[in-house]
Amino acid sequence: MTRRVAVTGIGIVAPGGIGAPAFWDLLSNGRTATRGITFFDPSGLRSRIAAECDFDPGAHGLDAEQVARCDRYIQFALVAGEEAIRDSGLDLAVENPWRVGVSLGTAVGGTTRLENDYVLVSHGGERWDVDHREAGPHLHRAFAPSTLASTVAERFEARGPVQTVSTGCTSGLDAVGYAFHTIEEGRADVCITGASDSPISPITMACFDAIKATSPNNDDPAHASRPFDADRNGFVMGEGGAVLVLEELDHALARGAHVYCEVSGYATFGNAYHMTGLTSEGLEMARAIEDALGQARLDGTAIDYVNAHGSGTKQNDRHETAAVKRTLGAHAYDTPMSSIKSMVGHSLGAIGAIEVVACALALTHQVVPPTANYETPDPECDLDYVPRVARERRLNNVLSVGSGFGGFQSAVILSRPREKTP
Amino acid sequence: MSQPRPRRAAVTGIGVVAPNGTSTETFWKSTQEGISVLDRITREGCEHLPLRVAGEVRNFDPPSAVEERYLVQTDRFTHFAMAAADLALDDARLSRAETDEAPFSVGVVTAAGSGGGEFGQRELQQLWGKGSRFVGPYQSIAWFYAASTGQISIRRGFKGPCGVVASDEAGGLDALAHAARAVRRGTDVMVAGATEAPLAPYSMVCQLGYEELSTVDDPARAYRPFTAAACGFVPAEGGAMLVVEAESSARERGAPVRATLAGHAATFTGASRWTQSREGLAEAIRVALREAGCAPEEIDVVFADALGVPEADRAEALAITDALGAHGGRVPVTAPKTGVGRGYGAAPVLDVAAAVLAMEHGLIPPTPNVFDVCHDLDLVTARARAAELRTALVLSRGLMGSNSALVLRLGAGDAS
Amino acid sequence: MSDRITVEELAELMKKAAGVTVSPEELRRRDDVGFDALGIDSLGLLGIVGELENRYGTPMPPDAEKSKSPRQFLDLVNSALLAGA
Repeated sequence: MTRRVAVTGIGIVAPGGIGAPAFWDLLSNGRTATRGITFFDPSGLRSRIAAECDFDPGAHGLDAEQVARCDRYIQFALVAGEEAIRDSGLDLAVENPWRVGVSLGTAVGGTTRLENDYVLVSHGGERWDVDHREAGPHLHRAFAPSTLASTVAERFEARGPVQTVSTGCTSGLDAVGYAFHTIEEGRADVCITGASDSPISPITMACFDAIKATSPNNDDPAHASRPFDADRNGFVMGEGGAVLVLEELDHALARGAHVYCEVSGYATFGNAYHMTGLTSEGLEMARAIEDALGQARLDGTAIDYVNAHGSGTKQNDRHETAAVKRTLGAHAYDTPMSSIKSMVGHSLGAIGAIEVVACALALTHQVVPPTANYETPDPECDLDYVPRVARERRLNNVLSVGSGFGGFQSAVILSRPREKTP
Repeated sequence: MSQPRPRRAAVTGIGVVAPNGTSTETFWKSTQEGISVLDRITREGCEHLPLRVAGEVRNFDPPSAVEERYLVQTDRFTHFAMAAADLALDDARLSRAETDEAPFSVGVVTAAGSGGGEFGQRELQQLWGKGSRFVGPYQSIAWFYAASTGQISIRRGFKGPCGVVASDEAGGLDALAHAARAVRRGTDVMVAGATEAPLAPYSMVCQLGYEELSTVDDPARAYRPFTAAACGFVPAEGGAMLVVEAESSARERGAPVRATLAGHAATFTGASRWTQSREGLAEAIRVALREAGCAPEEIDVVFADALGVPEADRAEALAITDALGAHGGRVPVTAPKTGVGRGYGAAPVLDVAAAVLAMEHGLIPPTPNVFDVCHDLDLVTARARAAELRTALVLSRGLMGSNSALVLRLGAGDAS
Repeated sequence: MSDRITVEELAELMKKAAGVTVSPEELRRRDDVGFDALGIDSLGLLGIVGELENRYGTPMPPDAEKSKSPRQFLDLVNSALLAGA
């Protein structure tokens, strides 16, 4: 018998909106949260804009010890995790802890602290033989990316399979996918999943500068992220964290939980093409979509909304437009496809999970979030990108796709709860 | 109606780039002879740090292992990974021509616990020493944890499921289990494992915060788990990649099935909560045995995690008995990693490589540098022990709190 | 450092920034061959452009990083340097 997997709780820390209601308010009104970088002096950088979170950990219940110990991206995960668990109504005290897992994604983990401490131990980049005496007390936790899942598992006393997933910019989708398979295969009944990243630091901004992947629209940050628009010129860095509670469907129904939706399919493939480059055909992403559809036992025409990777680079938007047309056929032209990166930027590993949360909320509200800033059509991107204004629509099945450096191509399908069939 | 027989995951190739050998043959020879290669760290800029001993991979020549451009474009941990993947694929006799016929049938999964630290430090030095314009374009793809999986997939043309578990030590076993599940779900071949390169100056500074780290500077005394002199672990670089393949696919192409990944489970008991790891490790062993359909008495050898912290060693010794009952006190246990160090996520993958080789040779490799065991364990020390080995249990725990157990069967593992 | 980028300097940059060795003689002989055929990917070319910008303290033309061949690349950057001099 196949075990089905329900989403029963969501929590989110995103630019312009902390908590699911504020986040949905931002998306459904098409507001953008991109601005000039305030975390450090960005002068000298080519791209000096980002979607930053106005996040006060203390106001969200973290104590001074947690704040000192945990990197910002882990703080996001803890706050989003609290919200998700509360939202799910799950009483972890009565759950069998060995059957509760954690699967969280991050692309660059503790880079921000790694960089801050590096500056100290290297005396500002002067020495290769760094001086260990200058290092902060929590540096080892930043060094180990598994600190993310570990810290969240400790907080919620999960004792089942706990893993941190790091597949670049598909980390969030893949973490949710792994959690889905973990429950489906019977290795856990509950899985706390999602992703978090806080990459707005000089080294990460500089490395994307070096490959001109980020937008240089410094004079107009609010309109800088322009997925699918003919004038798009790169992504805008973001940060944030999203956590979902996944649960075996019967387990959720038995306790009378509110079920947002089901995770009905997930797949990932490599494009074996280039670490950062994408083909214009999108064959491998198409393969991931087909495989996820197969698991969900759906035809491409059953997809009612595509939540795009839509990073706003020339090649990405072309690539996934091709992949969606390849899999949905003529139906692609009747299917709204939008990128929330236009509003909340691209938070690398976190964004996939943030997008899954957006999809769960879209299913709940039966509203498609828009692509903000979309004005000028690009002949190579000829689908319905939901320009600027959210749209009411009957949604049963939604697809979220992502591409990551390293060639990762992933797809997740969420479905409205269906009647149980014998 | 009977269920179709589940696809079983077989090991058909092993590729090792370890401190004690950069070919499977040398690795096995040094391992079974119990040679310790732990030594003073010699990598540039590390000599002054209060971490003196580690397992360095000294017989590895990157220019002869990977194409020239990767020396500039990727980090040492990826050089290790590409080289180990090549060795594993050669060992499995899987040619480029064969994998090109069905690129979506071959995937890659690695565990990565430290990323491209040396590369990252160089670019940080450019940024903070000279300015942001001096950061090169390859920083965006060389430092991050997904670099090795991506590069292997691209270099060999593998389009199957690709994954990365950025985990602590136990992640090495989790990556192999991930590969086994991908095989069960329909992928024919997964190249799976882990390599690490944490011996760069800044990476070492980061590790100094681990209270479990041994800072003893005598290589013979720095890492001695299960003894009264246990004083922590020493790190290592290198690792291994395996070809994990559907048994049916191996049979079709006439490749020998060297071992079967029969059962796995992972649990979590909290970072550095070593006393609690007893319960977590025992639970992982029980579930892994159940998945393998394996009775405790069938376990012929245990490859221990062997952290080298007294509290952790005690917890592991007790967990083995908790899970295996009376058999736990009788089954031979070994920890060859005391001769090479713990290469984070790579450590248990090397143990799996050693376990397959041990079963094939009917020989349990010893635990170098360890004498006078102070726990109720039959730890194999001093020299290798001949034994008929059909089933091996490999254990791993991580500094961030994960516990993992993997059951391996020799060959196709069919019940006799 | 001259005010022109020579084939020798390009060969040295290809080695340093992208890890690809092609001798200046070969580069001269095969200057119409694509960068991709020489093993230089898009990131490598970006690295070469970045390195030149740092050396000469001046931005290179935006199309430099899209050059298909060494000849095209040298023509572009040298005319830019000439114009800037």
